[in-house]
Amino acid sequence: MTHIVRISHLDKYFGRLHVIKDVSFDVQPQEVVCIIGRSGSGKSTLLRCINFLEEPSAGTVEVDGLSVPAGVRGKANNQLVHNIRLRTGMVFQEFNLFPHPSVIENVIEAPVTVKGMPRAQAVAIGEKFLTKVGLIHKRDEYPNRLSGGQKQRVAIARALTMEPKVMLFDEPTSALDPELIGEVLDVMKKLASEGTTMLVVTHEMSFAREVADRVIYMEDGQLIEDAPPEVMFTSAADPRCRQFLERVRQPG
Amino acid sequence: MANQAAALNAPPAKSQAELIYEQFQRSQRQFTLGVGASWGVLLVLLALVFSGLHLTVGPLNFTTIHLDFQFIRDWTPFISQGIWQTIGISFLSILFATLLALLAALGRLSRFPPIYAVSTFYISLIRGTPLFLQILFFFLALPQLGIDLPGLWAGVLALSLNYGAYMSEIFRAGILSVSKGQRESAVALGMNYSQMMRRVILPQALRFAIPPTGNEFIAMLKDSALVSATGFVHEILWRAQQAGQPNFRNLEALIVAAVFYWVLTLIFSAFQSRLEFFMARGDR
Repeated sequence: MTHIVRISHLDKYFGRLHVIKDVSFDVQPQEVVCIIGRSGSGKSTLLRCINFLEEPSAGTVEVDGLSVPAGVRGKANNQLVHNIRLRTGMVFQEFNLFPHPSVIENVIEAPVTVKGMPRAQAVAIGEKFLTKVGLIHKRDEYPNRLSGGQKQRVAIARALTMEPKVMLFDEPTSALDPELIGEVLDVMKKLASEGTTMLVVTHEMSFAREVADRVIYMEDGQLIEDAPPEVMFTSAADPRCRQFLERVRQPG
Repeated sequence: MANQAAALNAPPAKSQAELIYEQFQRSQRQFTLGVGASWGVLLVLLALVFSGLHLTVGPLNFTTIHLDFQFIRDWTPFISQGIWQTIGISFLSILFATLLALLAALGRLSRFPPIYAVSTFYISLIRGTPLFLQILFFFLALPQLGIDLPGLWAGVLALSLNYGAYMSEIFRAGILSVSKGQRESAVALGMNYSQMMRRVILPQALRFAIPPTGNEFIAMLKDSALVSATGFVHEILWRAQQAGQPNFRNLEALIVAAVFYWVLTLIFSAFQSRLEFFMARGDR
Protein backbone atom coordinates (compact mmCIF):
# COMPACT_ATOMS: atom_id res chain seq x y z
CA MET A 1 0.00 0.00 0.00
CA THR A 2 1.06 3.56 -0.62
CA HIS A 3 0.76 6.41 1.85
CA ILE A 4 -2.23 8.78 1.90
CA VAL A 5 -0.52 11.40 4.07
CA ARG A 6 3.18 12.17 3.94
CA ILE A 7 4.82 14.81 6.11
CA SER A 8 8.40 15.52 5.05
CA HIS A 9 10.89 17.56 7.04
CA LEU A 10 8.20 19.84 8.43
CA ASP A 11 9.26 22.88 10.44
CA LYS A 12 7.05 25.49 12.04
CA TYR A 13 8.05 28.72 13.72
CA PHE A 14 5.77 31.03 15.70
CA GLY A 15 7.85 34.18 15.38
CA ARG A 16 11.21 33.04 16.73
CA LEU A 17 9.76 30.10 18.56
CA HIS A 18 10.62 26.81 16.85
CA VAL A 19 7.60 24.60 17.56
CA ILE A 20 7.92 21.81 14.97
CA LYS A 21 11.42 20.55 14.24
CA ASP A 22 12.05 18.51 11.10
CA VAL A 23 9.14 16.10 11.51
CA SER A 24 8.53 13.39 8.90
CA PHE A 25 6.08 10.51 8.86
CA ASP A 26 3.60 8.71 6.61
CA VAL A 27 0.06 7.54 7.18
CA GLN A 28 -1.24 4.59 5.18
CA PRO A 29 -4.87 4.34 4.04
CA GLN A 30 -7.17 2.98 6.77
CA GLU A 31 -4.52 3.49 9.40
CA VAL A 32 -5.27 5.04 12.80
CA VAL A 33 -2.33 7.07 14.08
CA CYS A 34 -2.42 8.61 17.55
CA ILE A 35 -0.12 11.49 18.42
CA ILE A 36 0.69 11.79 22.11
CA GLY A 37 2.93 13.99 24.20
CA ARG A 38 2.94 16.74 26.79
CA SER A 39 1.05 20.00 26.35
CA GLY A 40 3.17 22.32 24.28
CA SER A 41 5.03 19.50 22.56
CA GLY A 42 3.73 20.69 19.17
CA LYS A 43 1.31 17.84 18.47
CA SER A 44 -1.73 20.06 17.82
CA THR A 45 0.32 22.43 15.68
CA LEU A 46 1.56 19.47 13.66
CA LEU A 47 -2.01 18.32 13.03
CA ARG A 48 -3.09 21.86 12.09
CA CYS A 49 -0.26 22.09 9.57
CA ILE A 50 -1.75 19.16 7.67
CA ASN A 51 -4.84 21.13 6.59
CA PHE A 52 -2.98 24.46 6.64
CA LEU A 53 -4.82 26.01 9.56
CA GLU A 54 -1.20 26.75 10.37
CA GLU A 55 1.10 27.44 7.48
CA PRO A 56 4.24 25.28 7.70
CA SER A 57 7.51 27.23 7.70
CA ALA A 58 9.48 24.55 5.85
CA GLY A 59 8.99 21.06 4.50
CA THR A 60 6.21 19.46 2.49
CA VAL A 61 2.70 18.28 3.27
CA GLU A 62 1.21 15.67 0.97
CA VAL A 63 -2.37 14.43 1.20
CA ASP A 64 -3.89 11.98 -1.28
CA GLY A 65 -1.22 12.71 -3.87
CA LEU A 66 -1.48 16.50 -3.54
CA SER A 67 1.86 17.81 -2.44
CA VAL A 68 2.24 21.36 -1.07
CA PRO A 69 5.69 22.69 -0.21
CA ALA A 70 5.90 25.30 2.55
CA GLY A 71 6.33 28.96 1.78
CA VAL A 72 4.90 28.90 -1.75
CA ARG A 73 2.11 31.38 -2.36
CA GLY A 74 -0.10 32.21 -5.30
CA LYS A 75 -3.31 31.04 -6.92
CA ALA A 76 -2.14 27.53 -7.84
CA ASN A 77 -0.94 26.91 -4.31
CA ASN A 78 -4.18 28.24 -2.78
CA GLN A 79 -6.10 25.85 -4.99
CA LEU A 80 -3.92 22.97 -3.78
CA VAL A 81 -4.48 23.95 -0.15
CA HIS A 82 -8.21 24.15 -0.82
CA ASN A 83 -8.15 20.67 -2.35
CA ILE A 84 -6.26 19.33 0.65
CA ARG A 85 -8.91 20.82 2.95
CA LEU A 86 -11.59 19.07 0.92
CA ARG A 87 -9.76 15.78 1.50
CA THR A 88 -9.33 16.26 5.25
CA GLY A 89 -12.02 16.50 7.88
CA MET A 90 -11.17 18.12 11.19
CA VAL A 91 -12.68 17.72 14.64
CA PHE A 92 -11.75 20.36 17.21
CA GLN A 93 -11.37 20.26 20.96
CA GLU A 94 -14.03 22.97 21.32
CA PHE A 95 -16.44 21.40 18.77
CA ASN A 96 -16.92 24.73 16.95
CA LEU A 97 -20.41 23.91 15.71
CA PHE A 98 -22.14 26.89 14.11
CA PRO A 99 -24.60 28.16 16.76
CA HIS A 100 -27.13 29.77 14.41
CA PRO A 101 -28.24 26.83 12.22
CA SER A 102 -29.77 23.53 13.35
CA VAL A 103 -27.83 20.28 13.57
CA ILE A 104 -28.72 19.11 10.06
CA GLU A 105 -27.98 22.58 8.65
CA ASN A 106 -24.59 22.48 10.36
CA VAL A 107 -23.88 19.14 8.76
CA ILE A 108 -24.92 20.04 5.20
CA GLU A 109 -23.52 23.59 5.24
CA ALA A 110 -20.15 22.80 3.69
CA PRO A 111 -21.30 20.21 1.11
CA VAL A 112 -23.89 22.70 -0.20
CA THR A 113 -21.84 25.92 0.08
CA VAL A 114 -18.40 24.61 -0.77
CA LYS A 115 -19.04 21.64 -3.04
CA GLY A 116 -22.26 23.00 -4.57
CA MET A 117 -23.97 19.71 -3.81
CA PRO A 118 -27.77 19.65 -4.30
CA ARG A 119 -29.48 20.09 -0.94
CA ALA A 120 -31.42 16.84 -1.06
CA GLN A 121 -28.26 14.85 -1.70
CA ALA A 122 -26.40 16.63 1.09
CA VAL A 123 -29.29 15.98 3.49
CA ALA A 124 -29.25 12.28 2.58
CA ILE A 125 -25.50 12.01 3.28
CA GLY A 126 -25.79 14.15 6.40
CA GLU A 127 -28.59 11.99 7.79
CA LYS A 128 -26.54 8.86 7.11
CA PHE A 129 -23.67 10.21 9.22
CA LEU A 130 -25.96 11.60 11.94
CA THR A 131 -27.35 8.08 12.19
CA LYS A 132 -23.83 6.71 12.41
CA VAL A 133 -22.98 8.96 15.37
CA GLY A 134 -26.35 8.10 16.93
CA LEU A 135 -27.89 11.57 16.79
CA ILE A 136 -30.42 11.41 13.97
CA HIS A 137 -33.14 12.20 16.54
CA LYS A 138 -31.42 15.55 17.21
CA ARG A 139 -31.54 16.46 13.51
CA ASP A 140 -33.56 19.67 13.98
CA GLU A 141 -32.20 20.65 17.38
CA TYR A 142 -29.94 23.69 17.83
CA PRO A 143 -26.34 23.02 18.94
CA ASN A 144 -26.61 24.85 22.26
CA ARG A 145 -29.37 22.46 23.31
CA LEU A 146 -26.94 19.53 23.08
CA SER A 147 -24.50 18.16 25.65
CA GLY A 148 -20.77 18.42 24.99
CA GLY A 149 -20.56 14.80 23.91
CA GLN A 150 -23.48 15.24 21.52
CA LYS A 151 -21.94 18.41 20.10
CA GLN A 152 -18.70 16.60 19.41
CA ARG A 153 -20.54 13.72 17.72
CA VAL A 154 -22.36 16.24 15.50
CA ALA A 155 -18.99 17.83 14.72
CA ILE A 156 -17.72 14.41 13.66
CA ALA A 157 -20.79 13.90 11.45
CA ARG A 158 -20.27 17.37 9.97
CA ALA A 159 -16.68 16.54 9.03
CA LEU A 160 -17.67 13.12 7.65
CA THR A 161 -20.41 14.58 5.44
CA MET A 162 -17.69 16.22 3.36
CA GLU A 163 -16.52 12.63 2.67
CA PRO A 164 -12.85 13.32 3.39
CA LYS A 165 -10.01 10.88 2.80
CA VAL A 166 -8.45 11.54 6.21
CA MET A 167 -10.00 12.57 9.52
CA LEU A 168 -7.96 14.82 11.82
CA PHE A 169 -8.95 14.85 15.50
CA ASP A 170 -7.43 17.59 17.68
CA GLU A 171 -7.90 16.46 21.29
CA PRO A 172 -11.55 15.62 20.64
CA THR A 173 -12.35 14.68 24.24
CA SER A 174 -10.28 17.22 26.19
CA ALA A 175 -13.12 19.74 26.63
CA LEU A 176 -15.63 17.11 27.75
CA ASP A 177 -16.89 16.19 31.19
CA PRO A 178 -15.48 12.79 32.13
CA GLU A 179 -18.81 11.00 31.83
CA LEU A 180 -19.24 12.21 28.22
CA ILE A 181 -15.86 11.08 26.91
CA GLY A 182 -16.93 7.49 26.34
CA GLU A 183 -19.69 8.24 23.80
CA VAL A 184 -17.25 10.20 21.62
CA LEU A 185 -14.52 7.57 21.84
CA ASP A 186 -17.09 4.90 20.94
CA VAL A 187 -17.96 6.76 17.74
CA MET A 188 -14.27 7.10 16.92
CA LYS A 189 -13.71 3.38 17.53
CA LYS A 190 -16.57 2.60 15.19
CA LEU A 191 -15.05 4.81 12.48
CA ALA A 192 -11.67 3.15 12.99
CA SER A 193 -13.17 -0.32 12.68
CA GLU A 194 -14.84 0.71 9.42
CA GLY A 195 -11.49 1.62 7.94
CA THR A 196 -11.50 5.41 8.27
CA THR A 197 -8.02 6.88 8.06
CA MET A 198 -7.55 8.83 11.27
CA LEU A 199 -4.90 11.04 12.83
CA VAL A 200 -5.74 11.64 16.47
CA VAL A 201 -4.00 14.02 18.87
CA THR A 202 -5.07 12.70 22.24
CA HIS A 203 -4.39 12.30 25.95
CA GLU A 204 -6.57 9.17 26.08
CA MET A 205 -3.87 6.51 26.39
CA SER A 206 -6.30 3.63 26.63
CA PHE A 207 -7.87 4.72 23.34
CA ALA A 208 -4.45 4.92 21.71
CA ARG A 209 -3.50 1.49 23.06
CA GLU A 210 -6.75 -0.10 21.97
CA VAL A 211 -7.47 1.54 18.61
CA ALA A 212 -4.26 2.92 17.12
CA ASP A 213 -2.21 1.09 14.52
CA ARG A 214 0.70 3.38 15.33
CA VAL A 215 1.44 5.82 18.10
CA ILE A 216 3.69 8.84 17.66
CA TYR A 217 5.32 10.45 20.67
CA MET A 218 6.32 14.10 20.36
CA GLU A 219 8.41 16.20 22.65
CA ASP A 220 9.70 19.75 22.24
CA GLY A 221 8.58 19.87 18.59
CA GLN A 222 10.38 16.69 17.64
CA LEU A 223 9.03 13.32 16.67
CA ILE A 224 10.73 11.13 19.24
CA GLU A 225 9.14 7.75 18.70
CA ASP A 226 6.84 6.20 16.11
CA ALA A 227 5.79 2.66 17.00
CA PRO A 228 2.81 0.29 17.16
CA PRO A 229 0.98 0.62 20.49
CA GLU A 230 2.10 -2.75 21.80
CA VAL A 231 5.70 -1.59 21.44
CA MET A 232 5.08 2.03 22.48
CA PHE A 233 3.33 1.17 25.73
CA THR A 234 5.63 -1.66 26.81
CA SER A 235 9.10 -1.11 25.44
CA ALA A 236 9.51 2.36 23.91
CA ALA A 237 13.05 2.83 22.72
CA ASP A 238 13.55 6.42 23.85
CA PRO A 239 13.92 7.09 27.59
CA ARG A 240 12.02 10.43 27.37
CA CYS A 241 9.07 8.59 25.90
CA ARG A 242 9.21 5.85 28.56
CA GLN A 243 9.35 8.49 31.28
CA PHE A 244 6.28 10.30 29.86
CA LEU A 245 4.27 7.07 29.68
CA GLU A 246 5.35 6.22 33.21
CA ARG A 247 4.02 9.61 34.44
CA VAL A 248 0.73 9.17 32.58
CA ARG A 249 0.21 5.77 34.14
CA GLN A 250 0.92 7.03 37.66
CA PRO A 251 -0.34 10.60 37.89
CA GLY A 252 1.17 12.81 40.56
CA MET B 1 -41.51 33.94 65.08
CA ALA B 2 -45.25 33.78 64.53
CA ASN B 3 -44.62 33.90 60.80
CA GLN B 4 -42.25 31.00 61.02
CA ALA B 5 -44.75 28.93 62.96
CA ALA B 6 -47.46 29.75 60.46
CA ALA B 7 -45.15 28.79 57.63
CA LEU B 8 -44.41 25.49 59.31
CA ASN B 9 -48.10 24.70 59.87
CA ALA B 10 -49.37 25.79 56.45
CA PRO B 11 -49.86 22.71 54.25
CA PRO B 12 -47.78 23.63 51.16
CA ALA B 13 -44.90 25.22 53.07
CA LYS B 14 -42.82 27.66 51.12
CA SER B 15 -39.23 26.67 50.77
CA GLN B 16 -36.49 28.95 51.97
CA ALA B 17 -35.51 29.56 48.37
CA GLU B 18 -39.02 30.77 47.56
CA LEU B 19 -39.03 33.10 50.56
CA ILE B 20 -35.69 34.57 49.61
CA TYR B 21 -36.85 35.00 46.02
CA GLU B 22 -40.04 36.75 47.15
CA GLN B 23 -38.04 39.08 49.35
CA PHE B 24 -35.84 39.85 46.35
CA GLN B 25 -38.88 40.51 44.16
CA ARG B 26 -40.39 42.78 46.81
CA SER B 27 -37.29 44.93 47.00
CA GLN B 28 -37.16 45.07 43.20
CA ARG B 29 -40.80 46.21 43.09
CA GLN B 30 -40.18 48.80 45.78
CA PHE B 31 -37.29 50.22 43.81
CA THR B 32 -39.32 50.40 40.59
CA LEU B 33 -42.22 52.04 42.41
CA GLY B 34 -39.90 54.54 44.09
CA VAL B 35 -38.32 55.50 40.79
CA GLY B 36 -41.74 55.83 39.13
CA ALA B 37 -43.08 58.06 41.90
CA SER B 38 -39.98 60.26 41.79
CA TRP B 39 -40.33 60.66 38.04
CA GLY B 40 -43.93 61.73 38.61
CA VAL B 41 -42.83 64.38 41.12
CA LEU B 42 -40.16 65.68 38.73
CA LEU B 43 -42.69 65.91 35.90
CA VAL B 44 -45.12 67.84 38.10
CA LEU B 45 -42.34 70.22 39.14
CA LEU B 46 -41.38 70.76 35.51
CA ALA B 47 -45.01 71.44 34.64
CA LEU B 48 -45.24 73.89 37.56
CA VAL B 49 -42.22 75.81 36.28
CA PHE B 50 -44.11 76.44 33.04
CA SER B 51 -47.55 76.81 34.60
CA GLY B 52 -47.66 80.62 34.73
CA LEU B 53 -49.01 80.42 38.30
CA HIS B 54 -47.97 82.62 41.18
CA LEU B 55 -47.05 80.24 43.95
CA THR B 56 -46.71 81.13 47.57
CA VAL B 57 -44.88 78.72 49.80
CA GLY B 58 -44.75 80.17 53.30
CA PRO B 59 -42.88 83.46 53.11
CA LEU B 60 -41.60 82.75 49.57
CA ASN B 61 -43.24 83.96 46.37
CA PHE B 62 -42.54 82.27 43.05
CA THR B 63 -43.46 83.63 39.68
CA THR B 64 -43.40 80.79 37.18
CA ILE B 65 -42.95 81.02 33.44
CA HIS B 66 -46.02 82.07 31.54
CA LEU B 67 -46.61 80.25 28.27
CA ASP B 68 -48.91 81.26 25.42
CA PHE B 69 -51.13 78.20 25.40
CA GLN B 70 -53.26 79.61 22.61
CA PHE B 71 -50.18 79.64 20.41
CA ILE B 72 -49.34 76.05 21.45
CA ARG B 73 -52.85 74.89 20.60
CA ASP B 74 -52.76 76.64 17.23
CA TRP B 75 -49.32 75.49 16.14
CA THR B 76 -48.89 72.01 17.61
CA PRO B 77 -50.61 70.34 14.62
CA PHE B 78 -48.27 72.16 12.23
CA ILE B 79 -45.17 71.11 14.18
CA SER B 80 -46.45 67.56 14.60
CA GLN B 81 -46.53 67.12 10.82
CA GLY B 82 -42.75 67.05 11.03
CA ILE B 83 -42.75 63.77 12.96
CA TRP B 84 -42.91 61.69 9.81
CA GLN B 85 -40.14 63.69 8.21
CA THR B 86 -37.97 63.16 11.28
CA ILE B 87 -38.65 59.43 11.40
CA GLY B 88 -38.27 59.14 7.62
CA ILE B 89 -34.87 60.87 7.47
CA SER B 90 -33.62 58.90 10.44
CA PHE B 91 -34.82 55.62 9.00
CA LEU B 92 -33.31 56.20 5.55
CA SER B 93 -30.06 57.40 7.09
CA ILE B 94 -29.70 54.49 9.50
CA LEU B 95 -30.29 52.12 6.58
CA PHE B 96 -27.49 53.58 4.47
CA ALA B 97 -25.31 54.08 7.56
CA THR B 98 -25.63 50.37 8.39
CA LEU B 99 -24.46 49.38 4.91
CA LEU B 100 -21.56 51.83 5.05
CA ALA B 101 -20.63 50.71 8.56
CA LEU B 102 -20.56 47.07 7.49
CA LEU B 103 -18.32 47.84 4.52
CA ALA B 104 -16.07 50.05 6.63
CA ALA B 105 -15.81 47.35 9.31
CA LEU B 106 -14.87 44.69 6.75
CA GLY B 107 -12.36 47.15 5.30
CA ARG B 108 -10.78 47.77 8.68
CA LEU B 109 -10.39 44.02 9.15
CA SER B 110 -8.92 43.54 5.68
CA ARG B 111 -5.24 42.67 5.30
CA PHE B 112 -5.19 44.24 1.81
CA PRO B 113 -3.52 47.65 2.30
CA PRO B 114 -5.61 49.80 -0.14
CA ILE B 115 -8.90 48.53 1.28
CA TYR B 116 -7.73 48.98 4.86
CA ALA B 117 -6.52 52.47 3.93
CA VAL B 118 -9.78 53.54 2.25
CA SER B 119 -11.74 52.38 5.26
CA THR B 120 -9.57 54.05 7.91
CA PHE B 121 -9.30 57.22 5.77
CA TYR B 122 -13.09 57.49 5.58
CA ILE B 123 -13.54 56.87 9.30
CA SER B 124 -10.82 59.34 10.26
CA LEU B 125 -12.10 62.10 7.94
CA ILE B 126 -15.69 61.79 9.13
CA ARG B 127 -14.86 61.49 12.80
CA GLY B 128 -12.44 64.38 12.55
CA THR B 129 -15.04 66.92 11.39
CA PRO B 130 -18.33 68.11 12.94
CA LEU B 131 -21.59 66.57 11.79
CA PHE B 132 -23.09 70.05 11.40
CA LEU B 133 -20.25 71.03 9.07
CA GLN B 134 -20.82 67.88 7.01
CA ILE B 135 -24.50 68.70 6.62
CA LEU B 136 -23.73 72.26 5.55
CA PHE B 137 -21.05 70.95 3.21
CA PHE B 138 -23.43 68.71 1.29
CA PHE B 139 -26.14 71.34 1.19
CA LEU B 140 -24.34 74.69 0.91
CA ALA B 141 -20.85 73.96 -0.37
CA LEU B 142 -21.53 71.44 -3.11
CA PRO B 143 -23.79 73.76 -5.20
CA GLN B 144 -20.66 75.91 -5.74
CA LEU B 145 -19.29 72.95 -7.70
CA GLY B 146 -22.51 72.67 -9.66
CA ILE B 147 -23.84 69.77 -7.58
CA ASP B 148 -27.30 70.61 -6.33
CA LEU B 149 -28.61 67.99 -3.95
CA PRO B 150 -32.21 68.29 -2.78
CA GLY B 151 -32.30 69.25 0.90
CA LEU B 152 -33.60 65.88 2.00
CA TRP B 153 -30.88 63.93 0.20
CA ALA B 154 -28.11 66.24 1.31
CA GLY B 155 -29.26 65.59 4.86
CA VAL B 156 -29.59 61.84 4.44
CA LEU B 157 -26.20 61.66 2.74
CA ALA B 158 -24.49 63.61 5.52
CA LEU B 159 -26.16 61.66 8.33
CA SER B 160 -25.45 58.30 6.63
CA LEU B 161 -21.79 59.05 6.06
CA ASN B 162 -21.39 60.35 9.59
CA TYR B 163 -23.19 57.53 11.37
CA GLY B 164 -21.62 54.94 9.07
CA ALA B 165 -18.18 55.95 10.30
CA TYR B 166 -19.15 55.75 13.97
CA MET B 167 -21.18 52.58 13.59
CA SER B 168 -18.34 50.76 11.81
CA GLU B 169 -16.94 50.15 15.28
CA ILE B 170 -20.13 48.29 16.25
CA PHE B 171 -19.82 45.95 13.30
CA ARG B 172 -16.09 45.52 13.79
CA ALA B 173 -16.71 44.52 17.40
CA GLY B 174 -19.49 42.19 16.23
CA ILE B 175 -17.23 40.44 13.75
CA LEU B 176 -14.42 40.18 16.31
CA SER B 177 -16.85 38.77 18.88
CA VAL B 178 -17.27 35.63 16.79
CA SER B 179 -14.78 33.12 18.15
CA LYS B 180 -11.66 32.06 16.32
CA GLY B 181 -12.92 28.49 16.41
CA GLN B 182 -15.81 29.45 14.13
CA ARG B 183 -13.39 30.72 11.50
CA GLU B 184 -11.17 27.70 11.87
CA SER B 185 -13.95 25.21 11.42
CA ALA B 186 -15.25 27.13 8.38
CA VAL B 187 -11.76 27.14 6.87
CA ALA B 188 -11.19 23.47 7.70
CA LEU B 189 -14.45 22.67 5.89
CA GLY B 190 -13.00 24.32 2.77
CA MET B 191 -14.87 27.64 2.84
CA ASN B 192 -13.23 30.66 1.24
CA TYR B 193 -13.31 34.14 2.80
CA SER B 194 -16.63 35.25 1.35
CA GLN B 195 -18.38 31.95 2.11
CA MET B 196 -17.08 32.07 5.67
CA MET B 197 -18.22 35.68 6.11
CA ARG B 198 -21.62 35.18 4.53
CA ARG B 199 -22.54 31.85 6.05
CA VAL B 200 -20.72 31.78 9.40
CA ILE B 201 -19.33 35.08 10.68
CA LEU B 202 -21.82 37.75 9.63
CA PRO B 203 -25.00 35.96 10.79
CA GLN B 204 -23.48 35.83 14.27
CA ALA B 205 -21.92 39.29 14.11
CA LEU B 206 -25.15 40.96 12.94
CA ARG B 207 -27.09 39.48 15.82
CA PHE B 208 -24.57 41.06 18.14
CA ALA B 209 -24.87 44.39 16.29
CA ILE B 210 -28.67 44.75 16.23
CA PRO B 211 -29.22 46.23 19.73
CA PRO B 212 -26.45 48.87 19.42
CA THR B 213 -27.82 49.80 15.98
CA GLY B 214 -31.14 50.48 17.68
CA ASN B 215 -29.35 52.86 20.03
CA GLU B 216 -27.81 54.64 17.08
CA PHE B 217 -31.25 55.04 15.52
CA ILE B 218 -32.48 56.76 18.67
CA ALA B 219 -29.48 59.11 18.60
CA MET B 220 -30.15 59.73 14.91
CA LEU B 221 -33.75 60.84 15.64
CA LYS B 222 -32.29 63.80 17.50
CA ASP B 223 -29.28 64.51 15.27
CA SER B 224 -31.65 64.67 12.30
CA ALA B 225 -32.75 68.03 13.72
CA LEU B 226 -29.48 69.50 12.42
CA VAL B 227 -30.81 69.02 8.91
CA SER B 228 -33.37 71.75 9.63
CA ALA B 229 -30.52 74.20 9.01
CA THR B 230 -30.79 73.53 5.29
CA GLY B 231 -34.32 74.90 5.39
CA PHE B 232 -35.66 72.35 2.96
CA VAL B 233 -36.49 69.41 5.19
CA HIS B 234 -39.70 70.13 7.02
CA GLU B 235 -39.02 68.05 10.08
CA ILE B 236 -39.94 68.85 13.68
CA LEU B 237 -37.31 71.46 14.50
CA TRP B 238 -37.68 73.29 11.18
CA ARG B 239 -41.41 73.57 11.74
CA ALA B 240 -40.89 74.77 15.30
CA GLN B 241 -38.67 77.55 14.02
CA GLN B 242 -41.15 78.46 11.27
CA ALA B 243 -43.89 78.70 13.84
CA GLY B 244 -41.91 80.42 16.58
CA GLN B 245 -39.87 83.11 14.89
CA PRO B 246 -42.52 85.20 13.05
CA ASN B 247 -44.81 85.07 16.09
CA PHE B 248 -42.08 85.77 18.67
CA ARG B 249 -43.07 82.56 20.40
CA ASN B 250 -39.77 80.65 20.19
CA LEU B 251 -40.03 79.43 23.77
CA GLU B 252 -43.39 77.77 23.19
CA ALA B 253 -42.43 76.40 19.78
CA LEU B 254 -39.19 74.87 21.01
CA ILE B 255 -40.89 73.33 24.04
CA VAL B 256 -43.43 71.67 21.75
CA ALA B 257 -40.61 70.36 19.54
CA ALA B 258 -38.72 69.13 22.60
CA VAL B 259 -41.78 67.23 23.81
CA PHE B 260 -42.13 65.53 20.43
CA TYR B 261 -38.47 64.49 20.38
CA TRP B 262 -38.66 63.26 23.93
CA VAL B 263 -41.78 61.20 23.35
CA LEU B 264 -40.33 59.71 20.15
CA THR B 265 -37.18 58.79 22.04
CA LEU B 266 -39.19 57.18 24.84
CA ILE B 267 -41.25 55.13 22.38
CA PHE B 268 -38.23 53.87 20.44
CA SER B 269 -36.26 53.23 23.64
CA ALA B 270 -39.09 51.00 24.81
CA PHE B 271 -38.85 49.08 21.52
CA GLN B 272 -35.13 48.95 21.99
CA SER B 273 -35.23 47.39 25.43
CA ARG B 274 -37.76 44.81 24.21
CA LEU B 275 -35.40 44.02 21.36
CA GLU B 276 -32.41 43.67 23.69
CA PHE B 277 -34.36 41.40 25.98
CA PHE B 278 -35.46 39.27 23.03
CA MET B 279 -31.94 39.01 21.62
CA ALA B 280 -30.47 38.11 24.99
CA ARG B 281 -33.08 35.40 25.48
CA GLY B 282 -32.20 33.86 22.11
CA ASP B 283 -28.70 33.23 23.43
CA ARG B 284 -29.75 30.44 25.69
